[in-house]
Amino acid sequence: MSGNGSGITNRARAKRITVFNHKGGVGKTTLTYNIAAQLSVLGKRVLLVDSDPQCNLSAYVIDGEVLDYLLDESDSPTGQTVWTSLKPLSEASGTFKLIDPIELSSRLFLLPGDIRVSDFEEELNDFWRECFQRKRKGFAGIVALSELVNEVCSSHDIDFVFYDSGPNIGPLNRIILLDCDFFIIPAACDLFSVRALKTLGRSLYSWISQWRTMIELAPADMDLLPGHPRFLGYLPQSFSVYRGGIVRNQAKYLSLLENSVRADILVALREFDVAIPGASPKLGEVKDFGTLVAASQTEGVPIYEVRTAGTAEQRAAAREAFKEIAEKIIRQTR
Amino acid sequence: MVIALDSNDMKQVEALVSHYEANQNLVSIFLKSMLGYIEESPELKRFAHSVRSRMKDPDHLRDKLCRKMSVAKEKDEPFDITQENLFVRINDLAGIRILHLHTTQMNDINQCIKAIVAEQPIELIEGPAARTWDDEYRSYFRGIGIDTKDSENMYTSVHYVVASTSRTKITCEIQVRTLMEEVWGEVDHSINYPHKTDSVPCREQIRALARQTSSATRLVDAIFATVADLVKKEN
Repeated sequence: MSGNGSGITNRARAKRITVFNHKGGVGKTTLTYNIAAQLSVLGKRVLLVDSDPQCNLSAYVIDGEVLDYLLDESDSPTGQTVWTSLKPLSEASGTFKLIDPIELSSRLFLLPGDIRVSDFEEELNDFWRECFQRKRKGFAGIVALSELVNEVCSSHDIDFVFYDSGPNIGPLNRIILLDCDFFIIPAACDLFSVRALKTLGRSLYSWISQWRTMIELAPADMDLLPGHPRFLGYLPQSFSVYRGGIVRNQAKYLSLLENSVRADILVALREFDVAIPGASPKLGEVKDFGTLVAASQTEGVPIYEVRTAGTAEQRAAAREAFKEIAEKIIRQTR
Repeated sequence: MVIALDSNDMKQVEALVSHYEANQNLVSIFLKSMLGYIEESPELKRFAHSVRSRMKDPDHLRDKLCRKMSVAKEKDEPFDITQENLFVRINDLAGIRILHLHTTQMNDINQCIKAIVAEQPIELIEGPAARTWDDEYRSYFRGIGIDTKDSENMYTSVHYVVASTSRTKITCEIQVRTLMEEVWGEVDHSINYPHKTDSVPCREQIRALARQTSSATRLVDAIFATVADLVKKEN
């Protein structure tokens, strides 16, 4: 269609990424945190946004007592979670409230999640409908989280944003995906992961096409979500390695996964220009690091930094795997 | 005189019709949003008897484009409707009709429509303009700040064209008329649309019907003027 103006003003330079799969148990949160941590080690300034009402990411990286305190306080004027920020939209009392991210380590920041974000998610269905009725209130609700992230990116000079999302095809994941510049699909080596890609591709198709229609009709004075996520690649993970090779039945699923990624994501979303020219659909590989993952979650550190489990070799292998992924992300998002 | 169109002309028309069909959802969403704005105006609800709407049938668009192209050729002017300006140049792809009981409600309805335009992400790009062939009504419309246009075929209605203020501009025509005018309009439409009837008796009777429905509108106006006068005296 014709027209001018992208509808997005002053978008901060940070690249926004989500590790997204509506199938649960594929390691979204673990991958998100470890990739983000590795990017910060490589000198990038990274913002983690825990947009999953189940708060797994926040529970992973902040101390239980601190998280408890944050959740207790989030409804008060001094609250500091994503809910504190979005609450005015849910209550139709105004725009988002700016909150400060928590500094987890040098160059790594977190906007903490909140169980009550599910209240905001309920409203999102109404906001979406209101966009189709060309009502400004709907657009304001749909872009609120993006605008919060934008403010934090500008004030903290962020290079990369990672949204952590819940395992569902819901309205919250829809706005996250439409706000992201890139998405990564984590997948386990099993039949259900392969099957899930088809429904994932269909959902992405309908989200992007509906939103792009909306962009054409949105009130000219509203900020919008870009609606142009590109596919950074899939991440097969948790497969077992035996004598240097991938065990046989998993090798079968690995090739099925790659075929499905091509057909159900790259081909299915071709008209939206999601592919990165020249990039392999596989972003990297994360094998099963055994006890490291559980220990990493207990200790609240990246899996290559755990102290209570695994061997030095395992940790080195994990560090290498995530370093490769992080470096590839830096290259491909330039 | 009608100038025949050649195969190149028809190709151009077909491309425009296909473009409309491929983007009908934009027109449909805009039309629904307009109906929503109207529905949510409690003021307008008080004065409007009912609201009708429709999207232009692609076949009727084809007819209209052919007529316009034929006229352009006849006058030796360029046919300048393109895919880029189709949704603005053909401004009744989305159409809304607001029906009301008596003519003096037009002032209030006009204020309501102006308030909607001021509040919502839309702009008024044409109108309001009243088609009329009656001197008495012509002076009424001018008195409330509505332009008038002569109506040789005896059609009567107040027209507005609004457009979305958005990246792709979509237009919608709003017609406002009394129920009596609607009767005439519907009869005329079924007989003369999309192609005018050649039957002289039919044309004559439709012109006579215009005078009947107009005097019925005038009678309804008189009844409400009487009521207004009574209320005024009681106070």
